[in-house]
Amino acid sequence: MAENTVQTTGHTWDETLQEYNNPLPNWWIYGLYVTIAFAIVYWVIYPSWPVGKDHLRGIGTVTYTNSAGQPETNGWNTRAKLLKEMQDGDARQKPYFDKIAAMPVSQVVKDPELNSFVLSAGKALFSENCAACHQAGGQGKVGLYPNLADDDWNYGGSVAEIEATLVGGRRGYMPAFGEALEKSQIEAISSYVLGLSGHAVDKVKAAEGNALFHSNTGACYYCHGADAKGRKEFGAPNLTDKVWQWANVPAAADMNGKIAAVRNVVTAGLNKGVMPAWGGENARLNPGQIKLLSIYVHQLGGGK
Amino acid sequence: MTTTAYSAPAEQYDYEIIKKFTIMAIVWAVVGMFVGVYIASELAWPWLNFDSPYFSFGRFRPVHTGAVIFGFGGSALFATSYYVVQRTCQTRLWGGGLIPFTFWGWQVVIVLAALSYVTGYSQGREYAEMEWPIDILIELVWVAYLAIYIGTLMKRKQPHIYVANWFYVSFILATALLHTFNNLAVPVGLFTLKSYSLFSGPMDAMTQWWYGHNAVGFFLTAAFLGMMYYFVPKHAGRPVYSYRLSIVHFWALSFMYMWVGTHHLHWTALPDWASTLGATFSIMLLLPSWGGMINGIMTLSGAWDKMRTDPIMRFMIVALSFYGMSTFEGPLMSLKDVNALSHYTDWTVGHVHSGALGWVAMISFGSIYHMLPRLWNTQMYSVKLINVHFWLATVGVLLYIVAMWISGIMQGLMWRAFDDFGNLQYSFVESVAAMHPFYAMRAIGGLFFLTGMCVMAYNCYKTIRQGQAEASNAAAVAQAA
Repeated sequence: MAENTVQTTGHTWDETLQEYNNPLPNWWIYGLYVTIAFAIVYWVIYPSWPVGKDHLRGIGTVTYTNSAGQPETNGWNTRAKLLKEMQDGDARQKPYFDKIAAMPVSQVVKDPELNSFVLSAGKALFSENCAACHQAGGQGKVGLYPNLADDDWNYGGSVAEIEATLVGGRRGYMPAFGEALEKSQIEAISSYVLGLSGHAVDKVKAAEGNALFHSNTGACYYCHGADAKGRKEFGAPNLTDKVWQWANVPAAADMNGKIAAVRNVVTAGLNKGVMPAWGGENARLNPGQIKLLSIYVHQLGGGK
Repeated sequence: MTTTAYSAPAEQYDYEIIKKFTIMAIVWAVVGMFVGVYIASELAWPWLNFDSPYFSFGRFRPVHTGAVIFGFGGSALFATSYYVVQRTCQTRLWGGGLIPFTFWGWQVVIVLAALSYVTGYSQGREYAEMEWPIDILIELVWVAYLAIYIGTLMKRKQPHIYVANWFYVSFILATALLHTFNNLAVPVGLFTLKSYSLFSGPMDAMTQWWYGHNAVGFFLTAAFLGMMYYFVPKHAGRPVYSYRLSIVHFWALSFMYMWVGTHHLHWTALPDWASTLGATFSIMLLLPSWGGMINGIMTLSGAWDKMRTDPIMRFMIVALSFYGMSTFEGPLMSLKDVNALSHYTDWTVGHVHSGALGWVAMISFGSIYHMLPRLWNTQMYSVKLINVHFWLATVGVLLYIVAMWISGIMQGLMWRAFDDFGNLQYSFVESVAAMHPFYAMRAIGGLFFLTGMCVMAYNCYKTIRQGQAEASNAAAVAQAA
């Protein structure tokens, strides 16, 4: 420190404040020059100063494939760089997508390399497009979005059926029976439905429900089938298993709660089982992606 | 409290306004940091949102930033600038009724802003969320502030203007400019708070970040350098290291900062040339920023022995160290390719807090601890508690920024990770899940910092009561005699 050799500027403020007249540290000045030199190099490489109605373009370039399919080199810019990176990514995956598109599904799943690709690309596509509703692992949410990781399929679980679901979307609907049936009748139907999956219910009520279920008054059998195992043409679920999508039966503490859960669904009906269409014109996913995604979803939980 | 019979040094300067602002700086720090810890906890444990819009992160976040930047930072700047300008000009404040207006006006701004955010009114501009009626009040307060400051400088009894005042004036001028242009908006109606910006698209974004980064540059940097230039040499009892460096880095800093806002908009719809200029001026800003750090540290360097005994000195040296660290980190992050990794991640949040907690808050703590006993003409109630505050604050900042470095860089890497087939390896929500432990760590770091702040508030409260008791005793003695 230049304690005794350097003079102060000779001013004093607030009794004690003074300033030494030390020169600028050399490393500080040279550091500043280095940053300026760095900036100049940056200006030479990238688009920089505006000049007139244009700007300095920089010597950096990006080569990408233009809409005519020809390689085209342009001055460095963000949009070209994005285009280039997207094209590189697509080019890397194209051989796999081409193979999958040309092959029947039964063969795709037997090819270890293609199968790995389906798992890898399927996870990314699923995360980006499906997981917002069906959740990260496809486990769904009771009362909102069906579970895709089990082997229960409302609209059919073959790859072709899953593909049809993806392309066209789905609109699940069940009419509200609250206005058509008496409360006691709905109670009876609920008892019968719960009995189907092995719950201990009031036998008298269940018998009454059974009759209504298969009659033209209740007409439940029309969509859910005479055996109550559901009809995938309508997306009507199987009522004899223990999978509950809309009525949250497993969460209810006692029998009254379970009956109430079913009763609410029968009374109010359902119109929220809507899944958007992912195929067709202006679609978010192309046919190759949909095919791949169908295979991926098929594998999530035992497909059919 | 202050009786006419008692003649204290306070008579020479207008200390009442400084006392008010100092107290409110401490109050807003406690409030703002509490809200900060709360929203940090919301990110780690989202049930704290209580499914209510009034408690949601989105509304509390500007309450936090508003209370700490404008409530705590702003009040600390009003207090210290009024203290510094009077003492270095050897004159009382100019301005009469304008002086209390700056106090009450500013406090009303902070309260109204917080209320409007919680009820859902926001311009959606970061750090400028206040809607138009509040903006007009800010404008009036700020013009009054400028008038008071310039008026006081003009009636100075010193021939030269001390360096700290240059920084304070540049802060006041630049903030006036930034606030005015960034808030040009058309209200939907005369009796509604809602308004729409005069600019659109990338121009709107560029105006916002011209404001946003210069709020950092002039409000949170230049102004606090002004604070540093008075309190560091004054407290160390040593001359400023280099007058020449102070001039050169002042002008370089003022010139460079205005250009760098566009580095917040890399890889967006902003024209590439504008983003390049933002990056390069950020790089060239490194040494001008460091000029302040060098001058501060070299000024302290003859007084290292005091580090062992004086926790106020520790606050100052740690503040300068964090200032140097974050002004190095900033230019690095402003490079296009580094930004491609860091942008939209927690790294940015960590960077802001190493500046805001490490630099802005620490230098304010040091300055307030120096100033408070002089305002109330007494000693600090407890030096031990200052020391406790210092360690709580330092550990808090370190926990905070280390958590954000790890989580930010991890986020950036996870978002761009590809597997062997060129597919994205992680979904967004997987990166969110990976953040959880670091969000908890950040909340704990914040809690340390808040606890330190509460210790400071208690210590300051006791000091003020002690000063008041001593003053009334002295008055009684004077009366008896």
